[in-house]
Amino acid sequence: MRIASGGVTDVGRVRTNNEDCHKIVEPLNLFVLSDGMGGEAHGEIASAMAVETVVKHCLDLEANPAAKIMGPAQPNWSARTKRLSTAIHLANRNIFKSAEQNVDQRGMGATLTAVWIDGAKLSIAHVGDSRAYLLRGGSLLQLTRDHSLVAEQVRRGILTSAEAEESDMQSVLLRALGAQAEIEVDVEEHTLFPRDVLLLCSDGLTRMVTDPEIAGTLQAETNPDRAAENLVALANERGGPDNITIVIVRLEKESKGWFSWLRGNARKNLGSNGTAGGN
Amino acid sequence: MPKLSLMFDNKIVKEVSVGNRPVTIGRSPDNDIPVDNLAVSNHHAKVYFEAGRMVVEDLDSLNGTFVNDLRVERATLHDGDNIHIGKHKIKVDTSGDAPLAWDTGRKAAAPRIDETMVLDTKERRKMLQQAAAMGESMQFAGGRMKVPTLVVLSGNTDQKEYVLTNRLTVIGKSAMATVRLKGWFKPQMAAQINQRDDGYYLGPGDKVPKVNGSPVSGPVRLSDGDLLEVSGVRLNFIFRE
Repeated sequence: MRIASGGVTDVGRVRTNNEDCHKIVEPLNLFVLSDGMGGEAHGEIASAMAVETVVKHCLDLEANPAAKIMGPAQPNWSARTKRLSTAIHLANRNIFKSAEQNVDQRGMGATLTAVWIDGAKLSIAHVGDSRAYLLRGGSLLQLTRDHSLVAEQVRRGILTSAEAEESDMQSVLLRALGAQAEIEVDVEEHTLFPRDVLLLCSDGLTRMVTDPEIAGTLQAETNPDRAAENLVALANERGGPDNITIVIVRLEKESKGWFSWLRGNARKNLGSNGTAGGN
Repeated sequence: MPKLSLMFDNKIVKEVSVGNRPVTIGRSPDNDIPVDNLAVSNHHAKVYFEAGRMVVEDLDSLNGTFVNDLRVERATLHDGDNIHIGKHKIKVDTSGDAPLAWDTGRKAAAPRIDETMVLDTKERRKMLQQAAAMGESMQFAGGRMKVPTLVVLSGNTDQKEYVLTNRLTVIGKSAMATVRLKGWFKPQMAAQINQRDDGYYLGPGDKVPKVNGSPVSGPVRLSDGDLLEVSGVRLNFIFRE
């Protein structure tokens, strides 16, 4: 499948520092997003460390395929899924150690949501309250579960979704990288289809913009960079109280048929280039 | 109260109201609705309320239970539906109040927290325990494992039955689809069923599917026994125990 992606991060309208961090590794089709927390500049350190560790460890797969697997792994997971899961355990350990060694970094932590695409196979790994969404057939589906107290209360039937949105406890996380020496990581594999759109985002978006608005923006603007900017603008219009980071990945069918070949040639002759992106 | 009317030759033979107890149908005289016919099994089917919906369930009968001419294992009943058992017809009247009512409104009071924070293990365990204690009464009744299953009632598919083990299910002609449609002019992705926190939702793909006869333009939560129609295929969504 052909992949087009784009991402943007924004400090928002209230905060002065951006504790979010994201990275698009195009040759790997790896997309990583993290939202840091902790006083002073330490949230930034934590999220950067998280993204860096994950990207580095995944990039290393080809050179060093036999690296030790950390954390529980299902035997039927692909090599990429195992590697991605391990990378997150590794990131947790790095942040935890750093905070242990540097007294001023105490309490720093980060969320992490990462997707890695290999053909039609999606590996997804997640800790915290950043989110991954899938837009398919016009329906928006949250692929990740928020590891926040209110989300857990909704799942247990103690709060309704509406009550959760009003709750003062929205910022309380049950899981984050760096909080403990060991961590539980949500890992899943899914099959992707042509025209699927993936969205990764920090909670600066989802606290301000509703799911239907996200779905509408992704459908109305097919350029990933512009769609990301439109969503940031929407969150900022409503006050932008937190950093906002968005990564959008669009999947398109590989053009192989004679019809698309003709269409591709026609496009070339017109001098416009088609959708941007790798393979 | 909702009721069932046993009809024969367009005449009401017997009327039974459906309350908290299941209504049983069968040839044996200990049934609430006895039907004296050799085509009817001794204990053929039962009708009961579950989460405010009236449900008919076939009890592994030899000749089957039909709702509006469609053979079902278990199906949600709607006002005016007809259950066919042997040569007999049972009219469904759901007007009147369902016997069950749930009240689940609860709120947790808490201090205001602006900065994102993580609960440490001890606090987390304590809060989750409280949450568990509060939520327990609303968990799945009895703790029985229920497996969502699609049973193919009619149409051309690669299997007769699908257990929904993945959170994302695609119905279509695509080689990657879970429920693979066969035949000409079938769309690659006709429709999708996705697991969300509170259940399974049917949504459109390239086609607009139907649930119990109504077209579905956005994600709709599926109930046990729902009848789905997409791209010429009819499916029964049930939870197997």
